Amino acid sequence: MAKVLEGPGMGLMKKWGIHVPNYVVVTSVDELTKLGQANDWLKKSKLVAKAHEALGSRFKLGLVKIDLDFKAAEAATKEMIGRQVGSITVTQVIVSEMIPHKEEYYCAVKSTREGSEILVANCGGIEVESNWERVKRLCLEIGQTPSADALEKLAKEAGFTGPLAKKMAEFAGKMFACFDNEDAQYLEVNPVVLREHDGELVALDAVTLLDGDAKFRHPDWNFAFAAEFGRAYSKQEEEVMAVDSKIKGSVKFIEIPGGDTAMLPAGGGASVYYSDAVVARGGKLANYAEYSGDPPDWAVEVLTEKVCSLPGIKNIIVGGAIANFTDVKKTFGGIINGFRKAKADGKLKNVKIWVRRGGPREKEGLDAMRALKDEGFDINVFDRNTPLTDIVDKALQVK
Amino acid sequence: MSILANKDTRVVIQGGQAGVNAARRMAEFCYLIKRPLNVEAFVYPPDAGKTNEIPYGSGLIAIPVYKSIAEATKNHPTINTSLVYIGADRAMKGGMEALDDAHIKVVSMITEGVPEKDAKILGAHARKLGKVFNGPSSIGIISAGACRLGVIGGAFDNLVLSKLYREGSFGVITKSGGLSNEIIWICSQFADGITTAIGIGGDAYPGTDYVSYLEMFENDPQTKAVVIVGEMGGDLEERAAEWYGAKKRRVKLIAVVSGFCQESLPKGMKFGHAGAKEGMKGEGSARSKSDAFKKAGALVPPTFGALGPAIKETYQELLKSGQVKEPVEPETLPRLPKTVEEAMKANEVMVAPLIRTTISDDRGDEPCYDGYPASELINKGYEIPHVIGLLWDKRLISKQEAEIIKRIMMLSADHGPCVSGAYATILAACAGIGLSQSVAAGMIMIGPRFGGAVTDAGRFFKYAVDNKMSVDEFLAYMKKNHGPVPGIGHRVKSLRNPDKRVKELVGYVKSLPIKTPCLDFALQVEQVTAAKKDNLILNVDGTMAAVLVDIGFPVDSLNGFFILSRTIGLIGHWVDQKRQDSRLIRLFDYLVNYAAPKRREGPPLE
Repeated sequence: MAKVLEGPGMGLMKKWGIHVPNYVVVTSVDELTKLGQANDWLKKSKLVAKAHEALGSRFKLGLVKIDLDFKAAEAATKEMIGRQVGSITVTQVIVSEMIPHKEEYYCAVKSTREGSEILVANCGGIEVESNWERVKRLCLEIGQTPSADALEKLAKEAGFTGPLAKKMAEFAGKMFACFDNEDAQYLEVNPVVLREHDGELVALDAVTLLDGDAKFRHPDWNFAFAAEFGRAYSKQEEEVMAVDSKIKGSVKFIEIPGGDTAMLPAGGGASVYYSDAVVARGGKLANYAEYSGDPPDWAVEVLTEKVCSLPGIKNIIVGGAIANFTDVKKTFGGIINGFRKAKADGKLKNVKIWVRRGGPREKEGLDAMRALKDEGFDINVFDRNTPLTDIVDKALQVK
Repeated sequence: MSILANKDTRVVIQGGQAGVNAARRMAEFCYLIKRPLNVEAFVYPPDAGKTNEIPYGSGLIAIPVYKSIAEATKNHPTINTSLVYIGADRAMKGGMEALDDAHIKVVSMITEGVPEKDAKILGAHARKLGKVFNGPSSIGIISAGACRLGVIGGAFDNLVLSKLYREGSFGVITKSGGLSNEIIWICSQFADGITTAIGIGGDAYPGTDYVSYLEMFENDPQTKAVVIVGEMGGDLEERAAEWYGAKKRRVKLIAVVSGFCQESLPKGMKFGHAGAKEGMKGEGSARSKSDAFKKAGALVPPTFGALGPAIKETYQELLKSGQVKEPVEPETLPRLPKTVEEAMKANEVMVAPLIRTTISDDRGDEPCYDGYPASELINKGYEIPHVIGLLWDKRLISKQEAEIIKRIMMLSADHGPCVSGAYATILAACAGIGLSQSVAAGMIMIGPRFGGAVTDAGRFFKYAVDNKMSVDEFLAYMKKNHGPVPGIGHRVKSLRNPDKRVKELVGYVKSLPIKTPCLDFALQVEQVTAAKKDNLILNVDGTMAAVLVDIGFPVDSLNGFFILSRTIGLIGHWVDQKRQDSRLIRLFDYLVNYAAPKRREGPPLE
């Protein structure tokens, strides 16, 4: 699942005929000033300026400013760019036209197991969240396209009447077209507003989640995906992602500040059980990590270095189930190299390492891990006869 | 009994190398359960018409590769199952092709990163046709004692340890590939093992859900209990719980769900498989799934670690109620033949080596020359002549000796374009022949008349010195037994037009505090021969030979010094011609003496 920021999200909606406000995404005030000279609407309309970053609660942070004239928009842009919020520096601002309106509505399309669901409500903004029962749905099977009649029926069910029902039905139809053709997983417009001067429905805010796996058939997806965490990816995380994109198999790494139990387990499934075990034991996760699909040893080594560099860690959990085809000796070779490098850099002091694993060449891999004891590592190695998450219990019992 | 995969399952594998690797694993399983290989064919257009060789026991089975599923099933009408190992961008097309073939009833897709929409289309299409589409991102399906589809089950040793050679009583359904193996192992240690284990894949919308498989297990009398390993995200676990709670079921259900850690993580932070994402309204959380299973009457261990004891408890109940009996283990099991390397490592076989080497070994992380690592030689200041010393004479030569060799090489690296070797290389280069063959053409010229006299010169000078011959005795000996003295005489150089290279080398060697009996002898020979005829001087081959013998190189290696040095020149000539883009050359008629008979009429053939 890949989150797309508002600008490119709006761009995709526009591509499928949905009315969106005029907008520009800028990285500096100068750019905005130049765009102001080129685009009339920036001078004529009231404007909204928002930090164009994957940040939650932008309004509270003062990163959304409304009802601005161009001068004020420039000032707001200047103020926002470069602002530091947690790990994120604001680098982009989206300046869009304010659409005068009275009514707000809601429209979304989401993925379901059978296909998708179109959601419509005749209230919008925060009102829809507290009145979720007013959201009406049209379920569609994969391959099915909603008929104009079905959409109009949905709009009417949601309380739209007369010509507006037809308009809303058309709007929802375009949302579906965008969803279906752009391999979206979730599209939400809240609010949809009725533009006063021409009576058109306009998408004021877009939440767009695309299927990153479908990127190969969308050459016009020329935007970067945003982190879904409400924060930007850290440099370490981005480095691991860069490795991940290059290799057979996968390596994943997400930092969780403040934790003291570092995770270096194998497998997309087992890694979550290991994380669960840490939480269940009252431990605090310092990260999430995972390697799988028989990745090359150097990729696992990079991942290991990142894990060893996490601040304030006391334990490292090198867990894993019994692998099907991941070579335990080879991947452990990468981990061992990473450990050695970390140790040479003065890391891993007072850090206990806990290993449990099975799979192809498990004996050789586990023996190599055990041998690290002789190099002064505080390491405890277990084989398949120790249940999967018992090493977490052992690690967190130790005073 | 089992579900989905059984003794009648015949497989086509769609894909290249990953598919071949899977076939190998499948062959190991077939060998373990003493059944013929269940892979009938591959479909992989780039290799169509070829065969893939799959090891089975100690032999190899050739499995044909076809261009299309239709071609495969036409030639192998027993095929009823397809495994898809095609890249994510082409996986849907491949999956559709398999589903649309009347022979194929089950399609399992291993490919990861398939777009959700494609997976949904495949799933819907299979349901419409009444077929099974398993995956994407599935590790495979395995039925103990009957059939393995994909790499599920892992290495051969693990198949044995997990008792997959005979059926047990537990069905397994997991999203995670790694955990499927773990559960199979747990079932074999805490109970009597599995009937069938299915990896449904960790995507958000797997083609077939838990419920479809639960129905199948419910209808399989051998399966007494089913273990589900679930994950947060989606509603498949809730649907499974709903199915289980809907009415009294024959199978017992044991379920664990991962993702409780989400509750204490920063909001919005998600990880694990693609499908592991909580819904907007908290649905799909590990807790809601776990609760749903509990409510439906399933056994839900609090942690993954408690799964083993829970399975054991269920098994004991089944034993007590007589629904299952303790399994009887076979007395012997086939053992996977070891490779020669493995067997040697285990001291089980002794293989007579085919060749023997005493100079170098590159089995480590770098080559060692006569035991010395190349990098160490470099870092300690040794040079190419030292490497020659190690590889040709197995000794670390002195700095002085190295300097002599370096000078010999520098002096004989090239001798212009007209000599046989360079000329042959140039001729070949002009004919558009490649580097190695052109250099080889020049190299072929090295022999008794060109450059190849070093060894013989060394041999005879050494013979004379070793036998304390006088120059006259030597010349008489040579005349009687061998003919002209190798290393003596030159086509163009003479006493009055001496060879500067010889002067240079002799001068240098004589300036050193070393004994040079061979060189001294050769110079004495020259004095006698050149007095007889002006051009019977000690030539560069003879000089090199005498010096090299004096510094201890074995006679048989001596031509090597000329070959090695001259290779530098030959490569230079080839590159030079290439650089000029030289054209094909041929001899001019006026350079040929046509001494053949005049043109005449051929007689009629008799």
